[in-house]
Amino acid sequence: MTKTKEVISPKKVAFPRYAEYNAPIRYLLENGVGVKCVLPPRLTHRSLEIGAKYSPDFVCTPFKILLGNMIEAIEAGADTLVMVYGLCKLGYYGELQEQILRDLGFDFDFVNLTEYNTGKIKDLFKAAKYLNPKAKFRKVVKALLEAVKMAEYIDAVTAEYYKSCGFETEKGSYKKAFETFIADMYAANTKDEIELAYTKVKQAFAGIPTDKPVQPLRVGIVGEFYTAMDQFSNFDVELKLAEMGVEIHRWMNVSNMFIHYPGEKNLNVRVKEYCTYQMGPTSTANIRSAKEYAEQRFDGVIHIKSANCTPEIDVMPVLQNISADYKVPVLYLTYDAQTSDVGLMTRLEAFYDMISMRKKVMH
Amino acid sequence: MSPTTIGIPRGMLYYRYEALWRTFFSELGANIVVSEPTTHRIAEEGMSVTIDEACLSVKVFFGHVNNLLGRCDYIFVPRISSFGRNRELCPRFTAMYDVAKNMFRNSGQKFLTCNVDVPAGDNEKKAFLSLGQALGCSAKSTIKAYKKAKKEEQRAYSDKLQKQKRLLEQDGLKILIAGHDYLVEDAYIGKPITDFLKKNGAVPLSAGIADRDAALNRSTEMSPTCKWQLNREIIGGIAMYRDKIDGIIFLSAFPCGPDAMVNELVLRRVDCLPMLNLVLDGQNGTAGTETRLESFLDIIRFKRGLL
Repeated sequence: MTKTKEVISPKKVAFPRYAEYNAPIRYLLENGVGVKCVLPPRLTHRSLEIGAKYSPDFVCTPFKILLGNMIEAIEAGADTLVMVYGLCKLGYYGELQEQILRDLGFDFDFVNLTEYNTGKIKDLFKAAKYLNPKAKFRKVVKALLEAVKMAEYIDAVTAEYYKSCGFETEKGSYKKAFETFIADMYAANTKDEIELAYTKVKQAFAGIPTDKPVQPLRVGIVGEFYTAMDQFSNFDVELKLAEMGVEIHRWMNVSNMFIHYPGEKNLNVRVKEYCTYQMGPTSTANIRSAKEYAEQRFDGVIHIKSANCTPEIDVMPVLQNISADYKVPVLYLTYDAQTSDVGLMTRLEAFYDMISMRKKVMH
Repeated sequence: MSPTTIGIPRGMLYYRYEALWRTFFSELGANIVVSEPTTHRIAEEGMSVTIDEACLSVKVFFGHVNNLLGRCDYIFVPRISSFGRNRELCPRFTAMYDVAKNMFRNSGQKFLTCNVDVPAGDNEKKAFLSLGQALGCSAKSTIKAYKKAKKEEQRAYSDKLQKQKRLLEQDGLKILIAGHDYLVEDAYIGKPITDFLKKNGAVPLSAGIADRDAALNRSTEMSPTCKWQLNREIIGGIAMYRDKIDGIIFLSAFPCGPDAMVNELVLRRVDCLPMLNLVLDGQNGTAGTETRLESFLDIIRFKRGLL
């Protein structure tokens, strides 16, 4: 007796690049929903350039990058694009991006999750049904849980990578292990493969010889939900700084915001002296992180955002006060559609010099 | 005990809630100080105290807050986040109170706020009850003041609608200005533009002044997933007035996020009407803007054979 072949929808679905989260998204689409997932090319200056060309001038930068990468996804053979919803301008990205792409004459199917978002899981499942009419609820949920686990592992490994890679004795060892792990995540199709790759990278990390001072320089990263996490968008600022010999900490990532989030009320209590209300979707979390880094006597904090990110602009006056109260230096980085990292390097080097001299004076 | 003095900055939501706030606070026996209409100096001060990257309207608003420092017991800065699903306000309004407190925390100035966030269970009535409580007034007198203020708000709004209706019947080119009331009605930013249009034989109308419920409904014709209340009222207004006008001017402040996106979309979807997209920065001098307005009016007249 032959086994009935699994029904796969003919759609070729793509989601624009977002840090390394395309791995769990691919996992969910292929192993849960049952559609072919087209991975758009990795972000390059071309993605940003074509995106910026067709975007309104002063929309936030991730809009431009995602739009450019959508065009690249269509070029790579995708016929269906998926866009998420969000609490800030992100929730409106989809409709405008679709319109711009249609006006450019592209032929594609568009699934805008904003349209499906009613607050009920059932309605979001309709989007899966649209992609593949034969999608099974249980299978989607199972793959979703596994994809979530994958995102958690990616976040944990990323955090470990940036925290330690500045102190390796053989340059590039952490990066190599990290990249192998990321490639494994993109290739994984079962829960076991995910677990195995995670165990492997943990072992690899543990075996890398390091030379770390007793009190290394520590810098905490806070910022906007796309730019702070996406290596291309922020010119891999974390690696640049780590390589100068700095321990990098960043609480802000997808699993901390969605899975381990302690709740708005719980977080807000911890920053009551700075804000009474939730100021924006990620504001409380960023203010809390910055305050904790300051309390733990970090040597500096870096605030990362794209140009025109309204909620993060509003966080800045609060960070200025935290900086004054705890005497912690804060570097504010705004990323626009620039294509060179020279200016960034100069600022990072100056920041590094300042915090390292300061540490020597204070100890 | 002398009555409490409440300072109201003449910016942002003041233009929407002037009647409501004034009536409410004066019914409760408070003195009210409203900052004067925006001047060059207020705008400049706002630009110097606010984070560079904030939008022009926010800078002007904080110029007004700065202007009121030390002149009142409390400066009123409400936190208004959302009226419901797809009825949100720009995150700016959500953060405004806390931003003000952080910006001016060394001034010793006290601020008064209330919270409207309907999805989180905080509606307007609750917000006003909390205001009454903060001012030491009884619940009964607060509710009475709120009811009266709501009536005044209604009356003021129907006056605005009537005025707009009369304008529609006037002769001259009807130019619909699609922009936030805090820009269009601001003495320093929007008024020079409406004045210039009037001087040149056009009748400026405001897209934001339309029956609010109807405008909200009609807005989905222009943009089904638009989630910002204020933008939905404006684009709904465009849908309602589009057959009665000669052209549209999109007026926005640099760099207003919602406007950047919503206006772009509407510009792509409305056809058969001349449209001008005017983004205002904090520049001195109106010559550049006037040239653009002149040529816009000329083009409309030329198309209609009036030139």
